[in-house]
Amino acid sequence: MTKLKNSIVLGLMCVLLTFGIFLQMRTVENSNVKVSQNYEENNLRAEVLKFKEKYDNEQKLLEKAENQLEKERESATKNNSELEDAEISIKKANKMIGLSEVKGPGVIVTLKDSQKNMANVMNIADFIVHDLDILSVINELKNAGAEAISINDERVVTTSAILCDGNVVSINKEKVGVPFVIKAIGLPEGLAALDRPGGYLQYLRQYDIEASLEKSNEITIPKYNGKLEFSYAKSLESSN
Amino acid sequence: MVLLAIIIGCVLGAIIGINAPMISYTYSSYLAIAVIAALDTVFGGIASVVNKKFDIKIFITGFFGNAILAILLTMLGEKLNVDIYLAAIVVFVWRMFINLAIIRRYYVEKWSNKFSKKDKEKNVEEDEEIAKKTNQN
Repeated sequence: MTKLKNSIVLGLMCVLLTFGIFLQMRTVENSNVKVSQNYEENNLRAEVLKFKEKYDNEQKLLEKAENQLEKERESATKNNSELEDAEISIKKANKMIGLSEVKGPGVIVTLKDSQKNMANVMNIADFIVHDLDILSVINELKNAGAEAISINDERVVTTSAILCDGNVVSINKEKVGVPFVIKAIGLPEGLAALDRPGGYLQYLRQYDIEASLEKSNEITIPKYNGKLEFSYAKSLESSN
Repeated sequence: MVLLAIIIGCVLGAIIGINAPMISYTYSSYLAIAVIAALDTVFGGIASVVNKKFDIKIFITGFFGNAILAILLTMLGEKLNVDIYLAAIVVFVWRMFINLAIIRRYYVEKWSNKFSKKDKEKNVEEDEEIAKKTNQN
């Protein structure tokens, strides 16, 4: 009788023990998926999302207003040849300084960090894409006659700065990470010279950085989202 | 019978554990320490069986008491910002090793006794055979 009792008790304990072990194993396995671990983090995340949504809404409103402005301008300048000329020149200028979306043939350059195992290299910094690499690529593209350039859909305009910002690169004060997709509109054959032997892309490939160049006939480059305003540089009276 | 109960219990527990709903990550550290405490009690139980001092009451109270105490200590440590669970793990694993050593010694002695007995029997038989042969000669 006592033996029966003992074995029942032992069996129940084994149930409990293995239940605990397996439950724990499953929990640990699943914890690799990043779940937020505390309440505060969740709240912060929710707040960020809220602000993002607000920002998107404002952006939409702004777009609507811009469209309306465009329409108004068109209807106002319809029957006046002088104003129509002015409108055309405004459009041209907007295109050139990056305030309107543009489309055309060009090249797409993609830069990715080296996939090498970083545990056995001397200097990790040699194997990642830096702000200066992007700057050099853009400089070469401009030299080759690129008319419009964007990096990860951030339009490069006259006031654009390309800076190192920790793990990422900041362009137009927006943070941009790898892979860097640099789009440039211009004569594709001319721009493709970036990939020439001894060129900058080849130089990057020496460090196992994945640099690729692709010609395309249809590239869309978005407009600059920020504000272009000069508060110090004034026009001369005579130039007006 | 005991062995059968243990095997059935283990299989049943594994099935329930695999199919049970998951606990949140915050509580998994408590469960882990409870599991270690329970394992320690199981090894202690086996060691006491080996020493012929096994008492089911002490075993049950040790199983639950150790687990609950370990969980409470872990919670207290979290409140005080001291990693008390480390001390609990050290103690439990220490005792596990000691108990394992006791079990190991017991079985090693048992087997070595068996083998030496067999050897003795063999030696005796050989001696007898030799004696017979010499007698015949």
